[in-house]
Amino acid sequence: MKTYLHLLEGLTVKRVLWVTVICAAATATVIWLFLNTYLDLFVTALCVGYTSMLLFTVAGNVRQSYMPREAAQVLAVIVGSVVGTIFAGFVKGRDVSQMFTERLAGVAISMGLGIGFGCIIVAAMILREKHARDQARIAKAESERHQLEKNVLEAQLQLMQAQVEPHFLFNTLANVQHLVETDAKSATNVLESLIQYLRAALPQMREGATNLGREADMARAFLEIHRVRMGSRLDFAIEIPEDLKCRAFPPMMLISLVENAIKHGVDPCCEKGVVTISAAENDGKLRVSVADTGEGVKPKEGGGVGLTNIRERLKALYGSSARLVMEENAPRGVVASIEVPATS
Amino acid sequence: MGFTAVIADDEPLLRANLRTRLAKLWPELAIVHEMENGRGVDEVIAEHDPDLFFLDIHMPGVNGLEAARAIAGRSHVVFVTAYDKYAVEAFERGAVDYVLKPFNDERLNLTCERLRERLEGRPPSMDALVEQLAGRLGVKAAEHLRWIRASVGSNVRLIPVEEVLFFQSDEKYTRVVTCDSEVLIRKPIKELLDELDPAKFWQIHRATIVNVDHIASVKRGIKDQAEIALRDHRETLVVSRAFTHLFKQM
Repeated sequence: MKTYLHLLEGLTVKRVLWVTVICAAATATVIWLFLNTYLDLFVTALCVGYTSMLLFTVAGNVRQSYMPREAAQVLAVIVGSVVGTIFAGFVKGRDVSQMFTERLAGVAISMGLGIGFGCIIVAAMILREKHARDQARIAKAESERHQLEKNVLEAQLQLMQAQVEPHFLFNTLANVQHLVETDAKSATNVLESLIQYLRAALPQMREGATNLGREADMARAFLEIHRVRMGSRLDFAIEIPEDLKCRAFPPMMLISLVENAIKHGVDPCCEKGVVTISAAENDGKLRVSVADTGEGVKPKEGGGVGLTNIRERLKALYGSSARLVMEENAPRGVVASIEVPATS
Repeated sequence: MGFTAVIADDEPLLRANLRTRLAKLWPELAIVHEMENGRGVDEVIAEHDPDLFFLDIHMPGVNGLEAARAIAGRSHVVFVTAYDKYAVEAFERGAVDYVLKPFNDERLNLTCERLRERLEGRPPSMDALVEQLAGRLGVKAAEHLRWIRASVGSNVRLIPVEEVLFFQSDEKYTRVVTCDSEVLIRKPIKELLDELDPAKFWQIHRATIVNVDHIASVKRGIKDQAEIALRDHRETLVVSRAFTHLFKQM
């Protein structure tokens, strides 16, 4: 029983009352056509009305793929009118066999009226349902738009909160502290790289618009610092064609990938590692890749919040026309690529 | 009398820095060995039997905490770390000394003085402290599958599991569906189920595992089944009767 209850979904008290009222009105409208009393005709109308209502509800809920839902509902009303009229005969204790002989005309009129009224009501209901569906669709689109706006705001917030790691800052300063005494020239170089990195990385210092060239310069400063700190263990190359440097590129994403390449790639493996940044434009897409020859991903270790942030920001900024792709590097390591629509 | 020490830090300049400063502040202390990470503590102890280890906490391979665990009370340990609020908090309980990088001579001198007093005594066992620190630093995270490796053409694509909407077995293969791509892998649903985080990935059908973070809505279907609509995806998924209890109202 429980299984079939959903077929009656929408059969509310309100619906039953409406059908009753409409039957009463319909009876009053057509009473002049018949010799019957008002009550007699009203009973017939109710039988037709309730049967049609029941079948209409079921037709609306049943899952079938033979015909559109609306067609099934119209059919339900037609069948309901025929069955309802016969049912009315039973209710009033008439001889059913007579209904198709001497009283055929009356029965036919009754059925026809049922079908006519039924169809009008069905049409009204279908229109109402369509209206409700449209409303729901509009509401959904609206909420999606709100969600998107929220995403964009969140992405901006995340960008603002992208912090310079204290661990990185203090370790770098510890290196500078040593170099000042032992190798002043290198100390100056590391400090200059640090300043350049901080200018781009500190939210208060960040400028609104940026391009691939500027992001690459920042990544270079970051890599220079790490090369000094990690000694012979890190090497890097930046291969960005001159004409792509002026391309628009979202801020802080490239540096995030480079950070990941060092933190999860080169640093965990004790030997030497190389980080290569490259960029190419193809079919209107700008693809910027960071490849490392490090450890590669461990299946059970996550990529950190950095990658999730990039994905969310790309989605907020470009929808489905941008993506972050992670691939294995050969013979080892990871290639992380960001693809965005190419605009200058 | 002269004591011996070992320095472990992955950054060569920082090892050199500590070495030269110690030479100035504590000339009698002999640095007998330097390490790039905590690997091979046992061999170092066997060879040099140092009184003291200076350990950086964050090092690739074997980190400072793991090294301290391996030293296990055979030598004294001083942690040298750049920034770690948890570590600092724990050390303030006074179990061992710690030095924050970058440090000045005064601070290092304080450590040296403390050490001179303590080196006469037995090295304390630090098991409890190290365990506590390891817990706070989140060294041991839950071991669940985080990446799906899938061949795409000649490349191997790495897909973070958070991006996966659902896994569905498809005869010999398993479909891995994300918002913007679909790949096939060989790992069967059953194996995936054992490895994925059960809080995020629910089996909803003999052949389907869904990422609950991507479910938009669940609708009652025919024959006690249910139907799942996903965010950012057109396909709907069937929840078979055996799994509909997962979505019953609380």
